[in-house]
Amino acid sequence: MTIKLPAVAFRNIFRNFRRSMLSAIAIAVSAMAIMALLALLEAMESDMATNLVSYYTGEVRIRHESFEQYERYNPLHLSLDMDEVLPLVEKQEGVRAATERINFPANLYLNGKNNAALGVGVDFASEEAFIDFPSLVKEGRLPTEGSNEMLIGALLARDLHLNLGDKVTVLTSTALRGSNAMTFQIVGIASFPVGGLNAKVLYVPLDRAQYLLRMEGQVQEILLLTEDGYKERDVAASVKELLQTELSLQTETKAWKDLNAMYSLLSIAKFIYYVMGAIFFLLGSTVIINTTMMVIYERMREIGTLGALGMQGKELTRLFLLEGSFISIIGSTLGTIAGLIIVFILSKVGLNFTEAMSGVDMEISSILYPQVNFFIALFVWVYAIIIASLSTLIPSRRASKIQIVEALRYV
Amino acid sequence: MSKPVVKLLLTLSLLCIIPSFLFALTGDEVIQKMDEMATFETSVSTGSIKTTDRFGTKISTFKAWARGASDSLIEFTSTAERGQKILRTQSSLYLFYPDAEELIRLQGAALRQSVLGSDLSYEDMTEEKNTLDSYTVVLEGSEIVNGHDCHVLTLTAKKRTVAYPVQKIWVDKQTYLVWKAEYSTAQKRLLKVMEVISTVEVAGRTLPSETKIEDKMKRDSATWMTLDSLEVNVPLAANLFSLENLTW
Repeated sequence: MTIKLPAVAFRNIFRNFRRSMLSAIAIAVSAMAIMALLALLEAMESDMATNLVSYYTGEVRIRHESFEQYERYNPLHLSLDMDEVLPLVEKQEGVRAATERINFPANLYLNGKNNAALGVGVDFASEEAFIDFPSLVKEGRLPTEGSNEMLIGALLARDLHLNLGDKVTVLTSTALRGSNAMTFQIVGIASFPVGGLNAKVLYVPLDRAQYLLRMEGQVQEILLLTEDGYKERDVAASVKELLQTELSLQTETKAWKDLNAMYSLLSIAKFIYYVMGAIFFLLGSTVIINTTMMVIYERMREIGTLGALGMQGKELTRLFLLEGSFISIIGSTLGTIAGLIIVFILSKVGLNFTEAMSGVDMEISSILYPQVNFFIALFVWVYAIIIASLSTLIPSRRASKIQIVEALRYV
Repeated sequence: MSKPVVKLLLTLSLLCIIPSFLFALTGDEVIQKMDEMATFETSVSTGSIKTTDRFGTKISTFKAWARGASDSLIEFTSTAERGQKILRTQSSLYLFYPDAEELIRLQGAALRQSVLGSDLSYEDMTEEKNTLDSYTVVLEGSEIVNGHDCHVLTLTAKKRTVAYPVQKIWVDKQTYLVWKAEYSTAQKRLLKVMEVISTVEVAGRTLPSETKIEDKMKRDSATWMTLDSLEVNVPLAANLFSLENLTW
């Protein structure tokens, strides 16, 4: 029997258009949801990567080799000599920029109470390549080197009722395992994209942090950015070796991806979301399975006639499979387009998680801007078609097993 | 033995026993004596705090002034913390840092914070000598500590504001020096152990010249507080223990 199966299958879609559309919409909703989900996840991943590199670890972080082991004791004495280390690593091949920082637990003494915060001593000049401080300053200006001045996170300032020009005494433990306190004037209030920074962090000039913490000439960590074309892990390995050979200095020099467990977790989460996506499609596909089954039972008479006219079981399977595939193509195309439109709109207006993220200590910005990614769109489109089409295989095979005599009873 | 002889022996025995009951000290009296022996009208001392922990040894030096049972002022003289001061008055404890424009007042749990990373807390460094105001005392018995016959006393806090809810102390029966002390929580969890390593005679009283303190909450940590000099009943400026004076 010669029959153009694709044409028949396509025509069959319109025989019960409403039911076909219901199946297509189910696929479209699944495709749209997974498209938006993956775009959001991509946005989270890239945002987290930017924040980690800028605010936390650089692309490569150098610390004293024992610092991590004793990190919970705040071992500021396990430091690096900045005059020795910095000039050396700056010249290393593959290093684009370097900066030095000291992170320290700071108690802000206000109205007889200590308020916990995180102090960071930074060299605002060399930080330019890492943190765009001027664009973050909401009020005031950046602290100047040599002055007891601080830049404070907007939420921290709000929570402690602090304003520009106020003076705050910062109490902390020193590298000599004593305590010290110093009064700083707030000269800038900054709005950081990461909620945790906004609510906890204050930045002071590096030289004043060194004085406060009794760390003259010492820093807690040196952060590096790499040149394009260089892998962070390779640069980390070469810098570690350089410091060992030139200064006999054992350090913990690592690429940022090896330092951030959260980032690794996000990569695992991404895989989980792909699995969840597949489940979404399978759920959407149940509508197709149901529809195809209904169609098969409804068209018993037709199947019997086609069989009596000589159509083989395999051709019957292919007919219903093609019908399901056409519905999947329509559904996934509609869903992917809708997903792209949603992501495009979100890329302009952003997704505001400020309230949801308040109190959550995660290096992800409070407002996320998912980006339109055509690779993801193509992936979702193909993925949706394959899974939805495969799901029609089960009822389609059922059609091929129907006995002609039995089917003809419906005539 | 004749009856008169037995009567005589019994009478003599009673006469021997009664005075020991009559003159035995109560726990409160021991503590009162202990506080008296540790308190001078005024005193000026210099000394050092040596702390060893997992990161090594650290030595800080200080000069201290005290008046009566409540007022004390400590100024650190070692390079790392030069100029930092701790002022204890009857009701409060203040910290002065040369680079801070305001005084920091410590109260409540903050008094238990470590001084310069040592095993000593601010409370330990500046504790008042009015023990009976804060604790109820039970005399447990006697024990020999480092060859010294001591009263063993358990002190239970009357109020929640004290640093140590329970103290077990060994007080020398002769000199009323506390040779050893164990500080615990109300649930009897050991927090700190103090023992006197050596003593010094000042104005007819025996005082600790070197004391070892171990914070049992820290691993591999111990602190030795040593007095290098101690002068007592010396004239001190009237405003020495005032907030105004703290900032000079």
